[in-house]
Formats: sequence, structure tokens, C-alpha cells
Amino acid sequence: MQWKKGKFLFITSLLFAILVVIFYFFSNKSVLANSQGKITIKVKISVCGNNVKEGGEQCDGSDLGGASCQSLGYSGGTLRCRPDCTFDTSGCYTAPFSGGGGGVYVLPPTETKVVLQGKAYPLAKITILKDGEVAQIVNADNNANFKTEIKNISPGVWNFSLWAEDSKGRRSIIISFSVTILEGKITTISNIFIPPTIELEKTKVAKGEALNIYGQTAPESQISIHVESPEEIIKTTKAKKTGDWDYSLDTSPLEEGMHTTRAKAESPEGLKSAFSSVLSFYVGKYKVEEICPKADFNKDGRTNLIDFSILLYWWGKYNPCVDMNHDGIVNLPDFSILLYYWTG
Amino acid sequence: MQNEKNLKFKIIVSLISIFLFLPLVAKTAILYFEPNKGEYRLGDTFIVDLRIDTERECINTVKAIVSFPKEILEAKDFSTGNSILTLWLQNPKINQKEGVISFIGGIPGGFCGPLPGEPGKPNLLGRIIFKVRETDVKLEYKTDAKLEFLDGCQVLLNDGFGTQAKLTTKGAVFTILPEKTEVPKEEWQEELTKDNIPPEPFEIKISQDPSIFGGKYFIVFSTTDKQTGIDHYEVKEGKRNWKRAESPYLLEDQSLKSKILVKAVDKAGNERIAEYVPPQKPFLWWIIIPILVGAGTGYWFYKKSKIKYQKSK
Repeated sequence: MQWKKGKFLFITSLLFAILVVIFYFFSNKSVLANSQGKITIKVKISVCGNNVKEGGEQCDGSDLGGASCQSLGYSGGTLRCRPDCTFDTSGCYTAPFSGGGGGVYVLPPTETKVVLQGKAYPLAKITILKDGEVAQIVNADNNANFKTEIKNISPGVWNFSLWAEDSKGRRSIIISFSVTILEGKITTISNIFIPPTIELEKTKVAKGEALNIYGQTAPESQISIHVESPEEIIKTTKAKKTGDWDYSLDTSPLEEGMHTTRAKAESPEGLKSAFSSVLSFYVGKYKVEEICPKADFNKDGRTNLIDFSILLYWWGKYNPCVDMNHDGIVNLPDFSILLYYWTG
Repeated sequence: MQNEKNLKFKIIVSLISIFLFLPLVAKTAILYFEPNKGEYRLGDTFIVDLRIDTERECINTVKAIVSFPKEILEAKDFSTGNSILTLWLQNPKINQKEGVISFIGGIPGGFCGPLPGEPGKPNLLGRIIFKVRETDVKLEYKTDAKLEFLDGCQVLLNDGFGTQAKLTTKGAVFTILPEKTEVPKEEWQEELTKDNIPPEPFEIKISQDPSIFGGKYFIVFSTTDKQTGIDHYEVKEGKRNWKRAESPYLLEDQSLKSKILVKAVDKAGNERIAEYVPPQKPFLWWIIIPILVGAGTGYWFYKKSKIKYQKSK
């Protein structure tokens, strides 16, 4: 009997331990395998100048990743690493070395720099903010790829935000990263995938009427459209080679009243975006007009410090424009909603 | 025998259920202090960081209220240098009388936790500079100085709805020894001495909106300091003196003819000045010259025709 009890406890403990290992193995990785067995890639940082060769770098400081002049096809010499983490083969030679004496290799001064790279939409105009203020505007290429550098930046913790405008003038939601920038190092933030743009054909439909939802993302990305009904309905579609995507939603299963929808994308390479802006639509009933959509209180097409100032002015009071969540008072949730729609 | 088998089955199923249920337990944001313990003596000045663990949720607003033992500690300052909060709805406020520090700050676009590969710890909200009081309090024994987050703290999600995140807070306890050292710790003074970098460059924006200040012109400005943090702003309009100000600032000169200067000053006294020069209205030479030429030509023709008329007479 004792033996049987012991056997039971042993099996139970073993089972528990296996489950613990499985749980922790899959919970904290930056590269995850999803249910289709596909690898999805998240935004990551690599720091050039930390003496550790990371993804995308040829080398880093003293870490040459095992490379040498000979492995690069030279006869000999000393391989070094440039401040931008690419090989410096100036110390390598191919002919028999006939020079005398040594030389001094002076590392050029390193600058503090940030590199941002990722995907948006074909030829999208991308606005990059630093601590909430516009720092740069760049364009994506035909394949929706972008890469840019921000120089003349002090070391410290910075908040970088990006949003994109597609070929039809639609704007994405803003995405942000808080990053520590080290002095004299090049910090690269890669695998950024700006959320898709989203638009509704109309915001008021009869029950059962089809509602067209469309937007733009990186070419041939998988789009998943989420509709709160209030249970979540998820539909999928694939973007064309132009990056355009669309879906005709059957509103029959939806109750009368207000619903919201948003979309996210996964590129063919496995990059996953965050959700797009949230859009509201009405099935059947009347539509409440948004007085000041996207927290653009002064209607200048931007949500920025001026709108924040207007919110501050009306803090604790009632203003139908500034009271974004319509709870009768300008308060903390309205501030949060303003930050969500920030454009700089 | 059957009962025993049933019991075993129930235990195994329960364990598996608990385990499968664990990932579904809602994640909570955690507000905490760092360090959360330590030993200090009378007269020591030390720094305590306020940090947030978002547990991979994306948040954009933090409202924090911190209590501290006012009889034992003096809250000398609050530094926002390197805070992830870049927009302050309520600047950090120290109420020494009540022993409370509070602030409301936000992050445009939100913060979802550090990225993989992050070399530092970008989850700092702010830093409180405490000094152990030495004159008002007579300590006879070792005493605990507790820091706590009070009810009323809120963290909001970056979801477009202002939803409150589930929140957990962790306090701190510092041991205060009833003795003085010859040279007290001065952690903050060291930071101030090291900081010789001014605040980040910024711009002044002029605006006007019927819903604010009765439609009068105002300016907005904001910047950050990556070392000791912004201390205050000052504004100077034209020949007027510098005066402490906050954004938004209602302009005294509503004609917009004065040059406007805004100065950001950090805790170490370093300054950065931004300037707005009103556009000069161009002197309308392109109107005056044709008028003069036209008038001059007209007068010349008039004189010529008058002379001709007089001659013909």
C-alpha cells in the first residue's frame, strides 16, 4: 500500500514538473512558434559597441565572430571591427608583407546613434518621434521596407514612436518603444512592423448588410480582423502585392448597437504587427457623431502638445469635445485616449 | 479501492487544471521601488527609483501616490530625468506636511515593456531624493522607514479606451540607524555635480483656440533632460523679465510682435533656451514704389500738358 502511494506521488510530481518546464519554455522567448509552426519575429534591439556580435552585425568590438583576414580571403594581417560593426580589412594583406615597423591604428571617434528599421506599407511616409516630438520623416520603399538613422542624440532613456501614412492618405496608429541609448554606441531597433491602416466603407449599417473594411499593410501579409460584438469575432484575409487589403464583413451575427473593429498583420517573413486603430460602427441604431475624433481637439489634423494643453485647460470640467469617453468629465481616461492617438 | 482511485484521479485533474489555468490569470502591472531596502544614517541623502513592470501589457498613463514617513525622512526633490513618462499631466508634487508625493504622467504611443536585447532598464518613472532628518527627530533605536503606494494609484492601458490595468504595488522598507557618520552619504549631490549637459533642444508652438483662454494666443513647450531631469521653465516676452511658467502659457503680448524666449532649466542648473521670433511684416515696397512712380509720372504729364496749354494760349 505504501509502495502504491509512493508510486502515485512520484507520477504526479513528474507530471507537474513536465508541465512546469513546458510552460516556462514557451512563455519568455522573443522568437515563438505559432500554431502553424511558423516562426514569428518580434522587435529587438542590438547594440553595436557592446563587444557582443548580435544579429545583423558582422562583428562588435573585439568579437569578430571567429572571422579573420584569412577567413575573408586575405593572406594574413589583422582583422578589426569598425565602429559601425562592419569588418575593417585595412589591416589585411594579400601579397607577402614587406613593410617594416608597425603602425598605429586609431579608432575614429564613435558617435551615439540610433538605427530604426522595419516594415510599413509600399512607399509609406513614416513619421518618427523622439520623446513625443517629430524627429524625422522617411519613406518606405516599394517593398514596404524602411531604415533610418537618428544622430546627434544624447545617451539616456528615449521614447521612439512611429506612425505611417499610406498611399491613400490614411494614418496608422502610433507605436512606441522606450530604449536605453548608450554613449558612443550604435543602437539598432529592428523588426519594427507598423500596424496596418484601417478604414470603414461606412459607419452605420443595417443588420445583415455587408460592411467593407479595408486598408494597407506590407505586401502579401496575412491580416486578421477583430470585431467586438461583444464576443470577439476574428476574420482573416491576405493583402495584395500592392499592400492593399479588404474584407467584406457580414453583420448578421452582430447585435444592434455600437461595435468596434481593429486589424493586425503578419508579414510573409514572420514579422507581427500590433493592432491598428480601433474603429467604431453602428448596426441598426443611430450613430453618435464623434465631435473630436482621435483627440484632435483643435482640428488641425494632429494630436499633439496643443491638444494636450486643451485637455489640461478643461481638466475636471465638462467639455463634449475633450471628454473622449463621454463619462461627463475630462479625466484620466481622456488623457490616456489622447496619448493613444498622439501624432506629434 | 474505488475511492482511492477516484481521489487520485481528482488530484491529477486538479493539478493539470491549475496549471492550464495559470496562463489565463490576468497579468497585472506592478509599481515598485528600487532599492526596496537599505540602511541609512542621520543626515544621509539617498535616491529611491520608482519603476513599473507592465508584464508585457501596453500602458500609457501612470498616476502614482507615494507615502513616506515625514518625521524620519525629508523628500528633498523628485527627478524625472530618464523617466519613460514624457508628458506630465501633473508634475511631481511633494507634500512634506502630509508625507505624500504624487504625479500623473503619460507616454505618447504607450510602453509595452523593454525590448529583447535592451541593454538597460527603461522602466523608470522617476527618482525620489530623500534625506534622513537629523534635527527634528530623536531616534534612540533602529527605525524602519516605509515607503508605500497608496490607494488611488492607477495605470491605464494604451488601448484607445483608457481602460484601467490591474495593478499591484510593492513597498520599500529602509532601516534608519540613530547615528551620524562624519561624512554623510550625498548620492544626489554627486549626480548634480556630474550633470553638465543642458536639457534637450525643443520648439515653442504658438496657438489659439476658441475653447481655451477665451481664444487668446498661448504658447506650448515641452522637453526632457536625460541626466538630472527638468526643474522648471521660464518665459521672457520681448523686453519683459524672465518669469517662471508652465505650459500652456497665455501670452501677455497678444499682438505677437515680441520675440518669445522659453528657458528649460534642469536640476543641476543647466539651461536650454528656445526662441520664437515673430515674422516681420515686409515693408510693402512692391505697393509703394508703383504708387510713387505712378503719381510721379502722372504729375509730370500734368505739368507738361499745363505748359503746353499755356504756350498755346
